[in-house]
Amino acid sequence: MRILGKTTINFMATRRSWYIVSAVVILAGLVSLFMKGVNYGIDFLGGTELVVRFDQAVDIGKVRSAMTGVGFESAEIKTFGSDRDILIRTPSIETEEGVAVGDILQQGLRDSFSGNQFTVQKEDKIGPKIGAELRRDAIYAVAASLIAIWLYIGFRFRFVYGIGAVAALFHDVLITLGIISIFDGVAGLNLEISQNMIAAFLTLVGLSVNDSVVIFDRIRENQKIFKTMNLADLMNKSINEMLSRTIITSGTIFIVLMVLMIFGGEVNRGFAFTLLIGIITGTYSSVYTASAVALDWTLRGKAQGRMVK
Amino acid sequence: MRKHRAKIILIVGAVLLSLYLLYPTYQDYEYQQTLNQLSEEDSLAFIEEHEASIRDARARRIKLGLDLQGGMRVVLEVNVLKLIEDLAKNKDATFDEILTAVKGEAQRSEESPVLILRRSFEEHQIRMSRYYGSLRDDNDRIFAFLEDESQKAIDRGMEIVRNRVDQYGVSEPSIQKLGANRIIVELPGVTKEAEVRRLLQGTARLEFKLLKEPELVYRVMDAIDKAVVELTTDSTDTSLVASLPDDTTAIDTPEGELTPEEFAKKHPFFSVALINPDQFPGDAVVAEENKDKIRRMLEREEVQRVTPNDFQFVWSAKPKVFDDTRYFMLYAVKRTPELTGGVIVNARAQIDPSFNQPIVTMEMNSEGAREWARITGANVNKRIAIVLDNAVFSDPVVRNKIIGGNSQIEGLDDLDEARLLEIVLKAGALPAPVEIIEQRSVGPSLGEDSIRSGLFSAGLATLLTILFMVFYYRAGGMVADLALVFCLLFLLAVLAAFQGTLTLPGIAGIILTLAIAVDANVLIYERVREEIATGKTLRAAIDAGYDKAFSAIFDTNLTTFITGVILYQFGTGPVQGFALTLMIGIASSMFSAVFITRVIFNILADKYTTGIQFG
Repeated sequence: MRILGKTTINFMATRRSWYIVSAVVILAGLVSLFMKGVNYGIDFLGGTELVVRFDQAVDIGKVRSAMTGVGFESAEIKTFGSDRDILIRTPSIETEEGVAVGDILQQGLRDSFSGNQFTVQKEDKIGPKIGAELRRDAIYAVAASLIAIWLYIGFRFRFVYGIGAVAALFHDVLITLGIISIFDGVAGLNLEISQNMIAAFLTLVGLSVNDSVVIFDRIRENQKIFKTMNLADLMNKSINEMLSRTIITSGTIFIVLMVLMIFGGEVNRGFAFTLLIGIITGTYSSVYTASAVALDWTLRGKAQGRMVK
Repeated sequence: MRKHRAKIILIVGAVLLSLYLLYPTYQDYEYQQTLNQLSEEDSLAFIEEHEASIRDARARRIKLGLDLQGGMRVVLEVNVLKLIEDLAKNKDATFDEILTAVKGEAQRSEESPVLILRRSFEEHQIRMSRYYGSLRDDNDRIFAFLEDESQKAIDRGMEIVRNRVDQYGVSEPSIQKLGANRIIVELPGVTKEAEVRRLLQGTARLEFKLLKEPELVYRVMDAIDKAVVELTTDSTDTSLVASLPDDTTAIDTPEGELTPEEFAKKHPFFSVALINPDQFPGDAVVAEENKDKIRRMLEREEVQRVTPNDFQFVWSAKPKVFDDTRYFMLYAVKRTPELTGGVIVNARAQIDPSFNQPIVTMEMNSEGAREWARITGANVNKRIAIVLDNAVFSDPVVRNKIIGGNSQIEGLDDLDEARLLEIVLKAGALPAPVEIIEQRSVGPSLGEDSIRSGLFSAGLATLLTILFMVFYYRAGGMVADLALVFCLLFLLAVLAAFQGTLTLPGIAGIILTLAIAVDANVLIYERVREEIATGKTLRAAIDAGYDKAFSAIFDTNLTTFITGVILYQFGTGPVQGFALTLMIGIASSMFSAVFITRVIFNILADKYTTGIQFG
């Protein structure tokens, strides 16, 4: 069976228009990032987070008044999966007398919902120091992987391809981050920035560069065979040859991630959503960012009379 | 077949080894199933009969992370600065100032607190020997001494935490050192938070301290009262102005005609620290809501100036309830303890038969017993406070000399608290206080939910992928699917062999591995199709497909692997589980999707020179 036959699409001819499309999407994301921001989880902010499961469904408003009753009127309260599961989050982890906030929150729930028993599903307490360290580690991790990938691609292929691949990575990370900011708050998606989310972003980086590498690999091979062909045609030829693979692989990953997002549990939902966006932009950017930037960089270099092949 | 013999042996060997490595996981699962079906008595008998093999299977199965099996993870930080503060002598205002600054910096910095302290001293151009060691010692020597002491405190702290956890009785606890002064404790299956907190955090510093004579105490309190009056009239600082107690009847008021407002203004200390010489001679009674206020008063420099040097105020560990209000006792004790917990050799939680109250009885070593006899003998009819972690548990009056080195702690809430106290007393005191800086706990039911949804989504994803590959690539797809199954088998076996931990993000990593493994085969098959299209024979097309696709497969996998390594370095707990399965998955997919499928195709191509369909 075949999804695509032989194609001869001139991808590189339209690259300028796609730059604009990318720029618009990134800009929309940035606007949302500045206006609305992203929702940091307690991994990065520190605080106490309590998830409880009640025997019967509860009303969020009543949970809120229970929290106000124990002095945590600013607590963030939302459902976690079903309307029996409630997530409560406060910024502090201990009261002045050194009593754990989690205990107070539980006492408040017990007092208000005497007829409706609950069990504690999850309780996390992160001190402010740990939060700051995790934030710093996350930034290091993303920066380190970008540099490592740039070095690796630059070493295995040519310098310009490293630039192209890293440009594509920035493109994907920015778009995904923007979309997360735009979609934040959509019920059931759980898109807060947690450690899992950082893992999702790094995986996205790994997968996004995959597609670029596969195309670069074919360009490298074709360059040896068609020595006189100009770079834009060479790229078009290579991308067309790999198009069927790109669609099948991305499609499989897409299906797998859909399964994970729908059935993988509350914890994996935001993770899978992030990767889904990442796969879409990653597939697109391997053509219209990674290859296109490598092409324009080379052309510019030639125009300036430098010997960049 | 013959020319592939070595490769086939390698593959069969790898599969057999994997099955062998995974057998304990299966066995453990079987045992759990059997045990769940049996009644309590039968299961005990079953455990006894198969004890060795159950334990063996448990030790070698794939470990589940706390997010899947439920439990608690606590990160403790040893408060090295408190130790440094305790070690210093001749402390003065300059020292306090430097230490406060160092504390602030240590909150933000990764550097060792001792190093920060040294730098701070050098910036102030103060020789460390002013507070540590002897005068002749230079900074290097004192720095080395402090580093050594804090290192010892951390090691000893870790040992004590381990002792306590062992005695608490958790199966498969994990205690690891993290960085310079942190300890990670993982307790599978434990969710009693308050108990664990007390178990780990209490320094368990036990001290026996003499109480001060009531007349002296009242004199000092009077001086404090006056000092506070001056403070509140001199300045606009209102933080010390007392709010009125609800119940002022307990106050012995010589100026009985004053209204409560006037009294509070005139005697800010006595209006909240109530005294009752008949019932509690020498102690003050403070309502819970006023505790912080008194604490703030006592911390003021002006107040400390009027307090004698060997004078120390300590609070009662538990509040007393009068008329629905909770009151804490404020005791005045001699600062230097008569005896410390180091002499305790044994402790036992029990119910006091005469009062039906939980108590902990303690036995001392011979040296401690001798001291105890001398102390009690010299202080008959005086009170000695039993102070644990700076809180008074009881203040018994010594009736006669105690020989034999026995003592007890009273005033405990319940037997559970007594048991915890028994454990911490036996395990010994922590050399420096520890703080809980991170704590995560997952309930068992959430863990079960996670396992269920994780396994279901992994199963469904595998099934969909397998169906798609057969549908799209026919015979080639079947071979790829076989490789996929091998890949999962190897992944799990390696996880079991390296004692890796499977977490929920780890399952996500496995699912992602499926996609990566399939991608390798897609790259190869698309290439084979291209080669067939150029008119090559099947055999030649397969060879060319594998050879030419390899560089792309290698490069893509390596870049993903690099991100896996970085993630493993920077991540913690569950995220590391993800990075781990991803890395193992990449390695095993290279073996199965590239190597194994090629061997299979070579064998097939020898037999059916044209028949293999690549869709």
